Amino acid sequence: MHIPDGILSAQVCAAGYAVTGLATWYSLRQINRRSDPTADIPKASLLTAAFFVASSIYIPVPPASVHLILNGLLGVVLGYFAFPAILIGLFFQALVIGHGGLTTLGVNAAMMGIPALVAYHIFQARTSLGRGLKEPTRTGVFAFLGGALGLGMATVIFVALIILNIPAELDGQAERTAVLALAIAHIPLALVEGAFTTVLVLFLRRVKPELLEG
Amino acid sequence: MGSVSFDTYVHRESVIHRWAPRLKLLSLLGLMFAFATVQNLALVPWILALAAVLYGLSSLPLSFLRRRLSYPGLFIVAVVVLLPLTVGDTVLGQWGWLTLREEGLRAALLIVGRFLSILTLGFVLLGTTPFLTLLGAMRSLGLPTILTDMALLSYRYLFEIAAMLTTMQQAMGLRGFGHRRQGWLRVNRQTLEHLALLTGNLLIRSYEQSERVYKAMRLRGYGQGSAPRQSTTPRPTALCWGLTGAVGAAAIALVAAELSWLR
Repeated sequence: MHIPDGILSAQVCAAGYAVTGLATWYSLRQINRRSDPTADIPKASLLTAAFFVASSIYIPVPPASVHLILNGLLGVVLGYFAFPAILIGLFFQALVIGHGGLTTLGVNAAMMGIPALVAYHIFQARTSLGRGLKEPTRTGVFAFLGGALGLGMATVIFVALIILNIPAELDGQAERTAVLALAIAHIPLALVEGAFTTVLVLFLRRVKPELLEG
Repeated sequence: MGSVSFDTYVHRESVIHRWAPRLKLLSLLGLMFAFATVQNLALVPWILALAAVLYGLSSLPLSFLRRRLSYPGLFIVAVVVLLPLTVGDTVLGQWGWLTLREEGLRAALLIVGRFLSILTLGFVLLGTTPFLTLLGAMRSLGLPTILTDMALLSYRYLFEIAAMLTTMQQAMGLRGFGHRRQGWLRVNRQTLEHLALLTGNLLIRSYEQSERVYKAMRLRGYGQGSAPRQSTTPRPTALCWGLTGAVGAAAIALVAAELSWLR
């Protein structure tokens, strides 16, 4: 779900870099408030590499397969490190396989990274909003919401950007139909991503709970 | 992924290889953004020619570009196929239910022209600059230390973790994973669980490795304040400034041509 080079105008690309700059500054400010900000850098870096590699895992849905995005999961596990991690991961993808692009790096990072930060806050809200639920249902429900909404929000941003930028000759009805079709097509993917995040987070909660401390 | 290397051609000899990294990064990024401003189809041959000249100057083999362009992504393929058939009122030709339309064709040519030229510049930049030098240039241009350190460490362990995943997937395959047929358009719950546990194991192994790495880095003085850095970057030569000036002038000319066309 990357927007490649050449699709968006220079103004939109520049706006993408501005939003990404702002989100990176905000994330780094939150990270630098910790007593030892450097302590989590190796953890975040290795997990960035692991997420980059794990996003190459495909879920078989015969006759095809579904490629995981994992931005919601990244938010849940990495907290404020998720945005820099996504920025670096996307830079590697542009570098290694030419997916995405250097002019659209800002737009793509904002599209994936801001939903990851939202997913982090949703998952953290389990202690306040999920008081009525028992463990591990509470962790599972909020992990599902984080994973599914992470992808869902990224999809909405992706569709909005594409529809607003391609091309002027399309009529309004065609635009509405395309938005609806694309959004509906992504609902099952968001559910798969949510279910995947739930299983994985419950596994981590059992085996390595410190990974979920954000 | 393991077969793709970042730095295969970075040690070749060419004017682009000798271009000072900071100037190269700024100039090529500026030109990429100038390419992104192009809305006029008449400018597309010019941007493709500029990208081709820079690629020619970089001495990178054509196979390097061909291999990387083989991942254009579904999106660009959809643009090329769908736009000329669905967008616009001016019919250029009709074959049964297929209708080729001028407006859609023009939009597709513009998008593909920009895509190819920007991507080629990206490969010129990344194919002629070692990854560490590129990060150094970004850092000297103000990239925060946390981002540079994260990028360096992630880069260091990327291929190791990819190899770890391949081994784990092989082990799963040998134990029978993926051998059962699944129903069409159905996500098998057990398959989903197995893949989630595989990812979980990958994260735990990476996390444990990160703890060992952090201890080793602390023992070597990481986080204790940086040592005074000695500047080892050579001063940009006249050739570097010449290239920077030429690329900058081309970028300005493109933007000016685009603005005059808009008027």
